[in-house]
Amino acid sequence: MHIKKYLLKCLHRLQKGPGYTYKELLVWYCNNTNTHGPKRIICEGPKKKAMWFLITLLFTSLVCWEWGVFIKTYLSWEVSVSLSIGFKTMDFPAGPICNASPFQYSKVKHLLKDLDELMEAVLERILAPEQSYGNTSKALNSTIWNYTPLVLIDEQNPHHPVVLDLFGDNHNGSAPGRTCTAQACKVAMRLCSLNGTVCTFRNFTSATRAVTEWYLLQATNIFSQVPNQELVEMGYPAERLILACLFGPEPCSYRNFTSIFHPDYGNCYIFNWGMTEKALPSANPGAEFGLKLILDIGQDDYVPFLTSTAGARLMLHEQRSYPFIKDEGIYAMSGTETSIGVLVDKLERKGEPYSQCTMNGSDVPVRNLYSDYNTTYSIQACIRSCFQDHMIRNCSCGHYLYPLPRGQRYCNNREFPGWAYCYSHLRMSVAQRETCINMCKESCNDTQYKMTISMADWPSEASEDWIFHVLSQERDQSTNITLSRKGIVKLNIYFQEFNYRTIEESAANNIVWLLSNLGGQFGFWMGGSVLCLIEFGEILIDFVWITIIKLVAFAKSLRQRRAQACYAGPPPTVAELVEAHTNFSFEPDVAGPGPDPGTYPDEQTLPIPGTPPPNYDSLRLQPLDIIESDSEGDAV
Amino acid sequence: MAPGEKIKAKIKKNLPVTGPQAPTIKELMRWYCLNTNTHGCRRIVVSRGRLRRLLWVLFTLTAVALIFWQCALLISSFYTVSVSIKVHFQKLDFPAVTICNINPYKYSAVRDLLADLEQETRTALKNLYGFPENKSRKRREAESWTSAWEGTQPKFLKLVPLLAFSQDETSKARDFLTGRKRKVSGSIIHKASDVMHVHESKEVVGFQLCSNDTSKCAVYTFSSGVNAIQEWYKLHYMNIMAQVPLEKKINMSYSAEELLVTCFFDGMSCDARNFTLFHHPMYGNCYTFNNRENETILSTSMGGSEYGLQVILYINEEEYNPFLVSSTGAKVIVHRQDEYPFIEDIGTEIETAMATSIGMHLTESFKLSEPYSQCTEDGSDVPISNIYNAAYSLQICLHSCFQTKMVEKCGCAQYSQPLPPAANYCNYQQHPNWMYCYYQLHQAFVREELGCQSVCREACSFKEWTLTTSLAQWPSEVSEKWLLPVLTWDQGQQIKKKLNKTDLAKLLIFYKDLNQRSIMESPANSIEMLLSNFGGQLGLWMSCSVVCVIEIIEVFFIDSFSIIARRQWHKAKEWWARRHAPPGPQGRDNLGLDIDDDLPTFTSALRLPPAPGTEVPGTPPPRYNTLRLERAFSDQLTDTQMPAES
Repeated sequence: MHIKKYLLKCLHRLQKGPGYTYKELLVWYCNNTNTHGPKRIICEGPKKKAMWFLITLLFTSLVCWEWGVFIKTYLSWEVSVSLSIGFKTMDFPAGPICNASPFQYSKVKHLLKDLDELMEAVLERILAPEQSYGNTSKALNSTIWNYTPLVLIDEQNPHHPVVLDLFGDNHNGSAPGRTCTAQACKVAMRLCSLNGTVCTFRNFTSATRAVTEWYLLQATNIFSQVPNQELVEMGYPAERLILACLFGPEPCSYRNFTSIFHPDYGNCYIFNWGMTEKALPSANPGAEFGLKLILDIGQDDYVPFLTSTAGARLMLHEQRSYPFIKDEGIYAMSGTETSIGVLVDKLERKGEPYSQCTMNGSDVPVRNLYSDYNTTYSIQACIRSCFQDHMIRNCSCGHYLYPLPRGQRYCNNREFPGWAYCYSHLRMSVAQRETCINMCKESCNDTQYKMTISMADWPSEASEDWIFHVLSQERDQSTNITLSRKGIVKLNIYFQEFNYRTIEESAANNIVWLLSNLGGQFGFWMGGSVLCLIEFGEILIDFVWITIIKLVAFAKSLRQRRAQACYAGPPPTVAELVEAHTNFSFEPDVAGPGPDPGTYPDEQTLPIPGTPPPNYDSLRLQPLDIIESDSEGDAV
Repeated sequence: MAPGEKIKAKIKKNLPVTGPQAPTIKELMRWYCLNTNTHGCRRIVVSRGRLRRLLWVLFTLTAVALIFWQCALLISSFYTVSVSIKVHFQKLDFPAVTICNINPYKYSAVRDLLADLEQETRTALKNLYGFPENKSRKRREAESWTSAWEGTQPKFLKLVPLLAFSQDETSKARDFLTGRKRKVSGSIIHKASDVMHVHESKEVVGFQLCSNDTSKCAVYTFSSGVNAIQEWYKLHYMNIMAQVPLEKKINMSYSAEELLVTCFFDGMSCDARNFTLFHHPMYGNCYTFNNRENETILSTSMGGSEYGLQVILYINEEEYNPFLVSSTGAKVIVHRQDEYPFIEDIGTEIETAMATSIGMHLTESFKLSEPYSQCTEDGSDVPISNIYNAAYSLQICLHSCFQTKMVEKCGCAQYSQPLPPAANYCNYQQHPNWMYCYYQLHQAFVREELGCQSVCREACSFKEWTLTTSLAQWPSEVSEKWLLPVLTWDQGQQIKKKLNKTDLAKLLIFYKDLNQRSIMESPANSIEMLLSNFGGQLGLWMSCSVVCVIEIIEVFFIDSFSIIARRQWHKAKEWWARRHAPPGPQGRDNLGLDIDDDLPTFTSALRLPPAPGTEVPGTPPPRYNTLRLERAFSDQLTDTQMPAES
């Protein structure tokens, strides 16, 4: 009963609609739509009709295709970049200053004593094997040596290389290693795994490199056992390193620098890091308004075997980020004035879904070990943390050069005898690096400091005397000159005339772009708009309704036929039907497009056997459509 | 009849004129304006009042003009590019690194070839500046050569004489060889005077180049004797070296083992085998690291100096040629694997007793080629054949162009560039006046008279490594003591001396970080964008679409032409009929036109009053409906009414 009512309601609804048949509906739509093509289909001759039909179809498919193209373009999340260059007041970059040598030799001598003696003996052995046998009486620390000994590999016969221990216990005089020259022999490092079963030789083509690497490995082992506090004390103190400081017109001193301990370079002092106080801005370009520093690197006190390069190491980086001096640092030479003009090259990217970058590193599956320093995320930090993670997983100890997660220990020979083998294995592993690179995401905001470096001799010969005198007096309160050209470094860091270049990303295709292009396409081909789409949707709904009504009517007619089958009287003949009168005075199409069908909707439901329905065409109900069309043809 | 048909019939009835059936152009226009989908036209027809109609005409025309203007702008800006900058953190291919000693050949090896030249240079220096011969540098056997040479005729100075001019009398010059003044004919070309005007009162030095065939001479002067002597020396040097076969030259230069003391890349040792030889005419043997020829391209997966290339170079200053090169050190260039290293143009110099650390940043650029810009993808569409065995670049094109022109004009090739096919390097013996030719050609090249600069186009994609170079002292005071002996041991048999600090240079080349910047051009407009912009414009001003355009074509071209054609046809037919019609006054029925026997209007035609028959002396126009043009319904209605009234 409900369904019936509902259907009736629908019928009422449809009365106001365009018509009852599909054809009528279509013609009505074509005539009344605002889209341009369809109207021409109905009001032209048959040939043109076909042509217009084809054109409309073609344009519709074109519009659909190009909409597809635009939506695809929109979903590819492209970005457009805008570039701006100029000068503005900016925070002066943070500048860590380090010495190339991490420690003062005079303070670490007691730690490195055994190692240095061993190193000297090794060098003697390599350079002049004949003489060195005479004075091997000096007691060498064999425990250090035995962890990772250096060997000579005689490759004169490439298929059977002869491995000779430098301090081989076969002191029988005929050791062929003594006659080795650089061409015949290669120095290699023997690395053995934990239980000494698996050993590899790390080959070097030059002895220089071999002994340097070997020394570094041993020194790492020693320093990793020293507590951090002691290491800081052994490094260069700020008051020794930084002699004079001037930021713009204002004097500054070593107290304005924040100290951090860098495993490679010892104590580093960061100017304007912005960790505790506000970052200093610089409002003017030029050397006069930048940072001027005079440093003393104290070259005499360098650890001789640890570093062979002398100079100050510095870099420029963003406030609150960790300085990776070894990667991005530059050297400043002693005895010269190094001027560094800075251009801040900033790249600001949009995050997801435009690019695969991370805003603060929180969505990267690697624990940032550098967060202990309270610094921001960077990809270098991520890769190093990732490496340290791998190191701890594979070798069960952390490497000295990277920060340590809580509860872990640095590697050393005593506790982790196989770590050197494990480490060198890991370091050479390409797979490890690739996993780290894949895991780490780049940061969305990337700032590079482009430096224009120029150098000049400093101090000049004429001014040398008084400058050294004054600086020595200030630092050491002595009248003797304690500084020399070998140690003194002057630095000028300043903004260039154009101090920033910002590349900013913005979405290339936003929703407005998409809509305007969709509209443009629809308008261009068919002159349509969103309202046309709504129209079309309406027509579709009408279609559905007509279908439903037709189905209902069909079902009813079936029922009716069944009912008629049991009806006694004979079915109406064709003659009877033709005899139906046509009411010529009745004009149904004047007011509305369709005939008035629902005047007596109830009549449709059940045939009343008593009074027969009037035979007028105008009163005919819809299901008798087929017969009606015949009679109506006569009528018009 | 279906209701749809009914509606159609009604629509047809409502339409006053169907397009092509309109009798006149005016009616067609009216029909078009009323029924078109474009806005504006309808308002012209519908509005009342002349002013308003005029306004609407103006508006419509303005809209049309705007559409045309905007669309023209859209089309003209179609080939523009938008630039995108992308940063990608990834494993980067390490570039090829070519390292050369600044001095091309060991002086001890080439001395035999250059002995005469050296001697003459020294004599010239002595005559001109009073430079004491063989005092500053103690060359072996130099004295004996001097004495041996005294008697012989100087051939180099005779060939290309060095001259000193006093500024006020440019036509007089002092010859160094004879010391006496002589008259100089020919044009005097002041080197660099084209670019900047040097005003000085002192003597200028130069040399004269003459063409043997035409006895034309050109004098090249320099503001300083240093430049003059070096240029003069270089000219002769090239001449001599051009005659030496390549194998001999390679042997005279440095070997890889000699140049490279140690090599370390990405934590691994490397040695001379990782370097490929590349012989440069002016720099001798250069060695390229990470050239594809050896194996696959090495890549870096970590930034920082540890993971880059670390090389210690041995530079023996004692083997330096005193006149050819005046600086000491090495030159390094970072380039793509398939790129030719233009070491003399864009190399970075490395100092001895220093560690030079070079941090790199990679920037890749891609430009769009035709029709967006003039760049070329691979140089195949540039009409200059690439004489280098390397990928196309602008520099390669310019050098190739010059060399080709040189071979064309002078008949021989210039020494510092590769040989084009079927050409020889220039030398005195075969090409006596090549120097004059070369200098003339070079002047023309610099002044862009050879057309090379306009023919050569830049390459569309290139990789650029931005270098940040910093220096530090190396070895440090304290490490020097142990480092130098070990390095000497490493070098072993290559050299027979103890290494000194100033014989060595350390070089570190590394990626600062693995961020690769790509600057890419992409088309700012696609055809879809253009069409949708058109659609936007058309829709904004007139609510027009392609359908409207087709409509306009249909109505204004096909229909109007058919109307005009029909008119003309009828006129012609009328005219023809009038001409061939029999002069008789009585009208005749056209029997062929009797389609319908019982036309309804026939009676009305019969009812015509006889009066007009007398007025028209000739044949009265036939009033048969069949002759009438097919008209639309409304016209027909009035037509049928007319006779009723009359």
